[in-house]
Amino acid sequence: MSEPMRIRATLQGDVADVRILMRHPMETGLRKDAQGQIVPVHFIQNVTVAHNGKIVLDAQWSQAVSRDPFLGLRVKGAKVGDKITVTWTDSKGDKRMDEASVTGAS
Amino acid sequence: MSSVRRWLAAFAVAALPCCLAAQTGPDGLALARKMLAEDNPGELWIDRGKDLFFQKRGPRNESLERCDFGLGPGKLEGASVRLPRYFADTDRVQDLESRLLTCMLELQGFKREDLAKTAISPALSNGSDIEALALYVTSRSNGMKMNVTLDHPREREMYEVGRYLFHRRAGQTDFACVTCHGEPDKRIRLQDLVNMTDQKEIQEVVGSWPAYRGSHGVVRTMQWRLSDCFWQMRLPELAYGSDVSIALTTYLHRQGNGAVVHVPGFKR
Amino acid sequence: MLGHRSRGAIASLFSLLSIGCATTADTAAIRDDAEQMVSRSFSAPEPALLKRLNQDEAQRICSKIDHAPLAQDESAEVVKLARASIKYPPSGKLIGNWRHGEQLAHDGAGDRIQSGRLEKRKENGGLCQNCHALEPGDVNVGNVGPGLTRYGVQRGSSEEAAKYTYEKIYNAWAYVPCSNMPRLGANGHLTPEQIADLVAYLVDPQSPLNAK
Repeated sequence: MSEPMRIRATLQGDVADVRILMRHPMETGLRKDAQGQIVPVHFIQNVTVAHNGKIVLDAQWSQAVSRDPFLGLRVKGAKVGDKITVTWTDSKGDKRMDEASVTGAS
Repeated sequence: MSSVRRWLAAFAVAALPCCLAAQTGPDGLALARKMLAEDNPGELWIDRGKDLFFQKRGPRNESLERCDFGLGPGKLEGASVRLPRYFADTDRVQDLESRLLTCMLELQGFKREDLAKTAISPALSNGSDIEALALYVTSRSNGMKMNVTLDHPREREMYEVGRYLFHRRAGQTDFACVTCHGEPDKRIRLQDLVNMTDQKEIQEVVGSWPAYRGSHGVVRTMQWRLSDCFWQMRLPELAYGSDVSIALTTYLHRQGNGAVVHVPGFKR
Repeated sequence: MLGHRSRGAIASLFSLLSIGCATTADTAAIRDDAEQMVSRSFSAPEPALLKRLNQDEAQRICSKIDHAPLAQDESAEVVKLARASIKYPPSGKLIGNWRHGEQLAHDGAGDRIQSGRLEKRKENGGLCQNCHALEPGDVNVGNVGPGLTRYGVQRGSSEEAAKYTYEKIYNAWAYVPCSNMPRLGANGHLTPEQIADLVAYLVDPQSPLNAK
């Protein structure tokens, strides 16, 4: 139901520069629609990033993170071909997992 | 378990892609916009547009692979930089969006009214199919230069009409496009205005549409941008794919010839 | 689709243009084409609103292409039409309530058409902040028009100053023909009473616009 993330992981030395674009409405539960009705709360609560299966980042998000969020991080000790797996879970219980491989510097 | 996670998390440094030097004012704003543009949510629409392009859809259950954007059926590289242009099959000068409409009608069997009504999505919605498709097709010309030619008399006509319309003052605001876009270093509130009578300035923007509009959370197109201007001018609603929209687009793209296409753009 | 007559006009236009000089015939043909396109490219919730697209005489004169200059007689005509349009509030009071004027000056909404609906509020906004600097310290202001900060300090609040200010807002083209500024009163975007409140916001020494 949710749309795929875009994950770019580029090796710089032995550090992978990882950039993740996610599609999510990130509704705060405070916004009113055109009819004046509150749009229900709906946001990503947890994001994990794994490097070759080992979790390297575990983030708890709130409504403060904006719509279509971007997450950037750097992972030490990476090599070309390593797997970066990103998983998010939201306040409705929806879950999304996407994966990418670390590429060499362009 | 949580302490192990914390230890592992030390190996990952969540960082912003650029320096964090504190800046305020217009320079800070420019830096913030640059950072936002580097990782543009609009890129996710390219993926969606690509899927939509190759998917068999509509009553005729066809993809858009045979759509002719001016270089022959299915040829996408370099097509959008030549638009708007004259098409013999419709006997019209068409921009990218109206040409997409044509193909969605002719190849896929969709109804014109249905498409035109939903082409521009509401802000903070999921976005429309046409927005994703227009972005995808334009992205296939990324890195190429805007190159609108006026060899056909109807193309020349649209250009001249577009130039006339650009300067046409109307409505209770007495605005023409040139009123706001005819001088350097002007802004409305904190939104800088592109001086479209300056070649360098117009080249900077003409290759940036379609673009992700941050405050709307969707991809916006040239058709939307034009209709939004007429909204602020207190004029009636510009019809999607209308002759006025195509004439203005012909004029502006031609004025911006030489611009390098780099989509998705990023707007506030 | 183009009609038979239009195609003929375009064919002759093309041959004229390929010679390389624009004649008045070309200009007229383009104008006709463009106006025809305008008449079929817009929609509105009520047919009466489509009249907003029609140009009046002054707008036609002021639609110069590529910064072409105004001729002497054109200038004079626009000023004449503008002067004739000016209406004052029935009360005769040109300086109204600056608190309401302050509200109006920062309000950029009202009377726009979108998704088949007309944006009707209690009153139209003055749109001033979009183009003009207003109170000292305001950051979120445009610069399409000259700054108006401390306007009253500079110009005073005499009857003369009030009259000039009122007329300028009512119909700016009475002073600068084809000015970028909308003819807010003459076009019915603002009422004479609203304009008087804006005048107060600009000239009243108590107005925050005139603060130190």
